[in-house]
Amino acid sequence: MGYPHPSHPGETVVLSKYFGDAAARSFEGWVKRGGYEALKRALAMTPDAIVEEVKNSGLRGRGGAGFPTGLKWSFMPKGDGKPHYLVCNADESEPGTFKDREIMRWTPHGLLEGCAIAAYAIGAERCYIYIRGEFTEPLRVMTGAVEEAYAAGALGPNVFGSGRRIDVVIHRGAGAYICGEETAMMNSIEGKRGNPRIKPPFPAQAGLFGVPTTINNVETLSAVPHIINRGAAWYKGLCLGNPKSTGTKLISVCGHVQRPGNYEVTMGTPMKGLIFEMCGGMRPGRTLKAVIPGGSSVPIMNAEEVDRCLLDYEGVIACGSMLGSAGMIVMDDSTDLVYQIMRLTKFYAHESCAQCTQCREGTAWTSRILERILAGQGKPEDMQLLLDLADNMTGKTICVLSDSCAAPVVSGIQKFRGEFEAYLQGRRSPAMAGV
Amino acid sequence: MSQDLVNVTIDGLQVSVPKGTMLIEAAKQAGVLVPHYCYHPSLPSPAVCRMCLVEVEKAPKLLPACVTAVADGQVVHVDSPAAKKAREGVLEFLLINHPLDCPICDQSGECELQDYTFQEGRPGTRYSEYAKRYNPVEDFGPDVLYVPNRCILCTRCVRFMDDVAGTPVLCVAERGDRAFIGIDPDHLLEHPWAGNVVDLCPVGSLISKDFLHKARVWDLDKTASICTGCSQGCNVTVDTRDNTVVRLRPRANLDVNRHFICDTGRMNYRWMNRGDRIEAPLVREAGRHLATDWDAALDRFAGLVRKGGKAVLLASAGASTESLGLLKGLLREFDLTAVVQVPAGEEAPLRGVPNLALRRERAPNGDGAALLGYGSDWERAIQAAGHADLVVVVNVELTGAEAAVIASARAVVVLGTIESQQLPQAELVAPITSVAEESGTFVNRDRRVQRYLQARTAAGMARPAWWVAAETQALVAPAAGVPATSAQAFDLLAETVPGLGGLSYATLGLTGRIAGAAEAAAAGAPR
Amino acid sequence: MSASAHHGHAAGAPAAPYEPVFTGARKTRLEALFEKYPTRQACLLPALWMVQEARGWIPEQGIAEVADVLGLTPAYVKGVVTFYTMYHTHPVGRHFIQVCTTSPCNICGAEDVVKALLRETGCRELGATSADGRFTVAEVECLGACGFATPILIDDDFIENVTPERVPGLLQGYK
Repeated sequence: MGYPHPSHPGETVVLSKYFGDAAARSFEGWVKRGGYEALKRALAMTPDAIVEEVKNSGLRGRGGAGFPTGLKWSFMPKGDGKPHYLVCNADESEPGTFKDREIMRWTPHGLLEGCAIAAYAIGAERCYIYIRGEFTEPLRVMTGAVEEAYAAGALGPNVFGSGRRIDVVIHRGAGAYICGEETAMMNSIEGKRGNPRIKPPFPAQAGLFGVPTTINNVETLSAVPHIINRGAAWYKGLCLGNPKSTGTKLISVCGHVQRPGNYEVTMGTPMKGLIFEMCGGMRPGRTLKAVIPGGSSVPIMNAEEVDRCLLDYEGVIACGSMLGSAGMIVMDDSTDLVYQIMRLTKFYAHESCAQCTQCREGTAWTSRILERILAGQGKPEDMQLLLDLADNMTGKTICVLSDSCAAPVVSGIQKFRGEFEAYLQGRRSPAMAGV
Repeated sequence: MSQDLVNVTIDGLQVSVPKGTMLIEAAKQAGVLVPHYCYHPSLPSPAVCRMCLVEVEKAPKLLPACVTAVADGQVVHVDSPAAKKAREGVLEFLLINHPLDCPICDQSGECELQDYTFQEGRPGTRYSEYAKRYNPVEDFGPDVLYVPNRCILCTRCVRFMDDVAGTPVLCVAERGDRAFIGIDPDHLLEHPWAGNVVDLCPVGSLISKDFLHKARVWDLDKTASICTGCSQGCNVTVDTRDNTVVRLRPRANLDVNRHFICDTGRMNYRWMNRGDRIEAPLVREAGRHLATDWDAALDRFAGLVRKGGKAVLLASAGASTESLGLLKGLLREFDLTAVVQVPAGEEAPLRGVPNLALRRERAPNGDGAALLGYGSDWERAIQAAGHADLVVVVNVELTGAEAAVIASARAVVVLGTIESQQLPQAELVAPITSVAEESGTFVNRDRRVQRYLQARTAAGMARPAWWVAAETQALVAPAAGVPATSAQAFDLLAETVPGLGGLSYATLGLTGRIAGAAEAAAAGAPR
Repeated sequence: MSASAHHGHAAGAPAAPYEPVFTGARKTRLEALFEKYPTRQACLLPALWMVQEARGWIPEQGIAEVADVLGLTPAYVKGVVTFYTMYHTHPVGRHFIQVCTTSPCNICGAEDVVKALLRETGCRELGATSADGRFTVAEVECLGACGFATPILIDDDFIENVTPERVPGLLQGYK
């Protein structure tokens, strides 16, 4: 992980190599560490060749969706005469996830280099980096890095004398999780409410300001220079599980482990190895109860599922959840799971943009039912009601915030029903005041 | 005109629609209404209410019909169990924060939330959480009140002001279930077309102050009519309760006003209820006006017409085509000056709809009059009236000066609605029906001939002006067919008036036809 | 933090008349922004940040000023301002504290940190400003530092690993 502890031997250190190394942040420091070679190399390639290389590497979107990156880039039209945009999604707001923040504050130039290569590959002359408003340190560090890059000719009208223009604009968010959804992010950059858009049209056809746009996550873009430097075959070879999941992933482990932090592992690494060896396992006297592996918008996993789970996109699906952004929330037996599920539904209710009926009303209603149960005022039919509402909230909205709210509720009831029944049957004393 | 047509099957019915048609419109062709809130054919579609989700075979998820275009061979199920459950879900979600205001809500009886809930909602709520939200009613401007508790956030009002009216004075404020429609207190809904948001609101959240608590909609009789405010000729529905006009609403006509009317037209109905009407025909006997019956009145009129000479016809540009036409015909043996006067006002366009505005010409039938050969030189006509043998004044309020000039005419006949002492020397004062009390047509500024229907019974002994003309004509020169209905009066005009040829009430329907189009088509000319 | 009343009327509005923000150096900064976005509308979020940095919050007149310089309507700007929770539409304490209580931090004692903050700042409740006008404490959603629970923001200072014990010491530096 590199910060605040040194990397564990079980990690595969690529993106996190300089986490904690303050000297790596400056332009000179980055160049000393081999930085900007990839950009120079990329500028000597054709955009198509870069897209091919990224396709062959098997890199998939690291923000949560896991969409093949090279394929996404190839959707951009060629020779259409319109401006193209690259948007770097640095809105990191998925509960449990804190990797992009580390990338930005320790290796800002690594991210800029990735943005520049991607912009060149998709025919974009401008890249907007959307950083969430609360990330005051990454904003400061990235702004400084951009200034340095311009001064050194790594950005601007003539990048490294290539004749290519690449501009970067840092855009500060203002407190809205939903702006991490790519179409909502585009609306936010355009000066609108952060409402997700209906698709079609897709961003590559009509995106930011109505022209072809690609949106990529910070971690995804940061991997690009490494792929250019060391080759697609190298990246593809980093694979311990399903061949469709390659490279490394920064897993943000938080909650009830001895050493929370970002752990960079090869795709396919066993989850239990990560939690019990690299993170030092549970706190003294505690046992593992549940893990939400992908940021909170995925089903909760129980200990048995954790035990057999391999950390890649397909592996986590096979164990009843999703890798998502890999914001891994570990909960031990001291956790009041019903309370935490309630708290998560309140998160979604707070962040709902208010467009779709099911999300706007359903997230709040769900959280109120859970509060009522926690206050000892639950009714037996509440279980079925929660499942019914979750079903009405799934697969019916413009974006998946609504589905994300339903996921912990459904998986919580399916795998931890006893915890709910303890409240319903009065075997557990109320955790909240009633209404 | 050839277009790419696409075949789709909707609830078992096959339809062929142009490429690019959305499923919700294609469904209308199949006679299937897809329940919806945020969609509106005159607004851009955001697909936020999620009510119109339909099942499309081979699609992994339910699709919103308002933004999903037809694809050849699609098989769509609007009433499948999955779609119905989804709609039931949406309705339940909408109702958890919606107050049970029906007993005090004006929208009751024309509320789409009531309608769809009754049709396919749950019989009872499962919401047993704490009390519903309470926010006070807000004043949004000249005619509009906003009741936040009832709002279902369909955003039609916001989109209307943004995209159709062109002035973004409404917004969605806040997020999640705290969201409401916001307005800047310094810029209320003063736009000349803002009242349309009340009609657009599917529920009783945006309501009209003018109509507040006035009548229950199921007590209303609804009649198709045409706005009399200007020459645009917006189609309206006149709502009456116990023979009193209580409200005007826009009536959809995609070629004239789409779904909208301006606030000026909307409020322009109180005159239809005036009580100071001429009750009975008045003939002048021994220096006084005596109330009499129609036989005596028509007799007097016929006598004056037989005398011949110079005549001046001063008519309102709000009179029907039938009335204007038959009156002019009645006086054809005279050396006739026939004019209408069209008052002027400021134009107020609705930017988002082509060719739609509150027009400068503030009368509904100026173009009808022109088609019939009426002139517009009012001043000259008044002067001529001073030494005319017969002056016929049709529903015009004259100035004192004008009345003084007319006083020196040999004979004056007044056909009017409102009681007046302006022309005490008139030989005959005949009560005529107002636009609300008769059937007739207007010709708008695009030469569209449109019908309006009778919305309330005539006041007193009033009869339509065309009837007065037809009956008098029959006395002057008995003829075979005397028009007994306004349709027959129109047919009579269609025989001789250029532009009206080929048209009839049957062909006009309730959306109207362009004058001259029928003749041009018959002659093989391009439209 | 969102307005408590509709129409965004501020609770406890300032007595002093509103001074325009976009003059002098800030005007220049705003105009430099116009180069970076193809529309004026896209400069809205940055412009609102500038008002908040200058005035500590965004009053109605600030909304009107931003609307004016960007060619938007005040109602439109209000719709955007109220969407994003980091913009304050009413005055807050000299130092604004945000503490995350979403589940990853919640299971690591975030609610105890909240209690400590309320106690040490003297704020009656979340969202309220302390009597001496020094602090406002707000509960926010995930701050993206879950492995460094519990993170808080005091103004623009992002502080990691906050425990109830650390709170008194942390607050010292903020007068």
